[in-house]
Amino acid sequence: MLDSTPAPLAIEVRGLKKTFPVRTRGAVPKPTPADPGQDGASASPPGQPPTPPPKQSRRGAFVEAVSGIDLDVPHGQVFAFLGPNGAGKTTTLRILTTLLPATSGTAKVAGFDVTTQQRQVRRNIGYVGQLGGTDLDHATGRENLVLAARLYGLRKRDALTRAAELLEGFDLTALADQETSTYSGGQRRRLDVALGMVGQPSVLFLDEPSTGLDPQNRMNLWDQVRRLRAAGTTVFLTTHYLDEADALADNVAIMDHGQIIARGTPAELKARTGSTTLDDVFLTLTGRVLRDTESQEVRS
Amino acid sequence: MITKESSIVTEAFLLTQRRAKELLREPQWIFSGMATPILYLVLFAPLLTNIPSALFGGLSVVQMFVPGMLVLFAFGSGQGIGWTVIHELDTGVIERFRVTPVRRVSLLLGSVIRDGLFFIVCALIVCLIAIPFGFVIHPSGLALTLLLLAVLTGTVSATSAAIGLALKNIGALAASIMSMQLPLTLLAGALLPISMGPTWLRVLAHFNPFYYAVEAARDLASGHILTVNVGLGFLVVFAVFALALTWASRVFQKAVA
Ligand SMILES: Nc1ncnc2c1ncn2[C@@H]1O[C@H](COP(=O)(O)OP(=O)(O)O)[C@@H](O)[C@H]1O
Ligand SMILES: [Mg+2]
Repeated sequence: MLDSTPAPLAIEVRGLKKTFPVRTRGAVPKPTPADPGQDGASASPPGQPPTPPPKQSRRGAFVEAVSGIDLDVPHGQVFAFLGPNGAGKTTTLRILTTLLPATSGTAKVAGFDVTTQQRQVRRNIGYVGQLGGTDLDHATGRENLVLAARLYGLRKRDALTRAAELLEGFDLTALADQETSTYSGGQRRRLDVALGMVGQPSVLFLDEPSTGLDPQNRMNLWDQVRRLRAAGTTVFLTTHYLDEADALADNVAIMDHGQIIARGTPAELKARTGSTTLDDVFLTLTGRVLRDTESQEVRS
Repeated sequence: MITKESSIVTEAFLLTQRRAKELLREPQWIFSGMATPILYLVLFAPLLTNIPSALFGGLSVVQMFVPGMLVLFAFGSGQGIGWTVIHELDTGVIERFRVTPVRRVSLLLGSVIRDGLFFIVCALIVCLIAIPFGFVIHPSGLALTLLLLAVLTGTVSATSAAIGLALKNIGALAASIMSMQLPLTLLAGALLPISMGPTWLRVLAHFNPFYYAVEAARDLASGHILTVNVGLGFLVVFAVFALALTWASRVFQKAVA
C-alpha cells in the first residue's frame, strides 16, 4: 500500500501561511509602513523582537504568524529552525504535525499531505512540544512510555521492551517506576523527548528541546539527536540558541516575523555575512540581537 | 516507523485503563463523589415522607426519589473531566496524543467509559445503602437504569471534555457547567416529579433530555420495563450521547493549545 520508494524530501512546504484572529480593544491602528517611527527594528529596545502590529481585514483583526514560507528538508538531515520568540516557529511545527490547519499553502511530511493524509503523517512522525507532553498525574515514566508504545500498536511485551530501551537511552532507568511528578525539569524533558521517539518516527519534530536545560543535559540531548541522525532519522528542531544550530544542524533557516530571512548551512550563513557566530549572522541580517532577554529557568 | 495498527477497542481499553488508574490513585474523589447522593438520601429524602404517595403515581417516596437522585449523580460523575482536560492542555499531554495516529474518538472514550463505569459502581453502592430506607431493588430494572444513566454520564463527560478543550479556561468551564447543571436537573424533575408542576413547566421539560432519563429511570427502578417512558428515555439518551461524542471528537480534531 505504501510507496516502496522513499519520498524525495522528508519535509516539503510551499507558500505556507497561518493567520490567527486577535481580539483587540478599541480600533486597530492601520499599518503605516511609510512612517519612519513605526519601523519595527529601530523602534524596539535592543534584544526585544518587535511584535508585529495586528492587521485589519474585513473579517476583523488578525496576526500573520507564518507568512507564506517554503521549506525543503531532505531525508536524514538535522534541520534547525531559528528565530526569536514570536517568529512563528511553533506555529509552523504545529501545522507540520497536523495539530493546526494552515490558512493557505501546502505541506508534505514524509511524503504525505498534512491536510488530506493526517493519519499517514501521524504514523511517520514524532513530536516533542514546547510544553512537554509527559503525563504528570500519577503515572510513572515507564507507564507513560508503555502506554504510548501500545497506542502505536505494539503488544504488551514489545511495548515493555521499547520502553526499557528508551529509558536506558535517556538515562532514566533508575527513575522508571517513580511517578513523573517527582522528576526534575531535566529528567522530565528527557522523558518528553523519549515519548516523541516511541513510534520510531522517520521525521522527529523537537520544539525548543533544550530551552531551560542545564549544560550537562543539553549535551546529552545533542548526543541523542546525533544518534538519531546516524540512524537515518530526519530531525527538525527549533531553537533560539545559535550554538545549538551550529553544533547540530546540516541546514538552518532563520525565521523572523513569520518569514524566512535566510537559509543555508551554518558555514554558508557565516561566510555570507562575514560573521564568526550565528548570533552575528542574525545581528547582521536584522540589526537585532537574537538571544532573547527573557529570564530562563534552568532545569537540572 | 512502527507499521502495526491498534484497533479502536485496544485504544479505548488502554485509555480507559489510564483514566481509571488516575482515579484509583486519588480515591478522595471517589468518596467525595459518592457523598452527594448519600447526603441527599439521608438529609433530603426524609423531607418528602409526608407527601401523599398518590402524587408520585403511587410510588413510595424512596422509590420515586432514588432514580432522580441517580440522574443528579450521573451529571456529577461526568462533569469533572473538563478540568483534567484543561490541565492536560497546559502540560502538552493532549498535544502529544493528538500527533499520534490514535483515533480522536478514542481520546474521548477513555474518559467517557471510565466515568460511566465509575458511575455504575458507585450508583450500585448507593442503591444498596438505600435499601434500609425502603428502596426495593428490581434486578433487571435496576440493571437497565444503571446502563441508561451510565450512558448519560458519558454524555456529560464528553460534553465537559469538549467545553474544556474549546474554552481552555477553568473559570469559563466552571461557569458553563454550573449554568447548565441546575436548569437541566431541576427541569428534569430529578428531585420531585415534573408532573406535580404547572403546565408550562411540564411543556418546557420536554425539551430537556434529562427529563426523559428521569422518567425512564423511575419506571425502570420500580420494575416497569416495557413502558413508553423507558423507550423514549433510551432513544433520547442514546441520541444525545451520539451527538455529544461526535461534537467532542470534532473539537479534539481541531483543538489548538
Ligand atoms: N493560538 C494562537 N492565537 C493567536 N495568536 C497566536 C496563537 N499562536 C501563536 N500566535 C501568535 O503567532 C505568532 C507566532 O507565535 P509562535 O509560532 O508561537 O512563535 P515562536 O514559536 O517562534 O516563538 C506570535 O505573534 C503569537 O502571538
Ligand atoms: Mg515557540
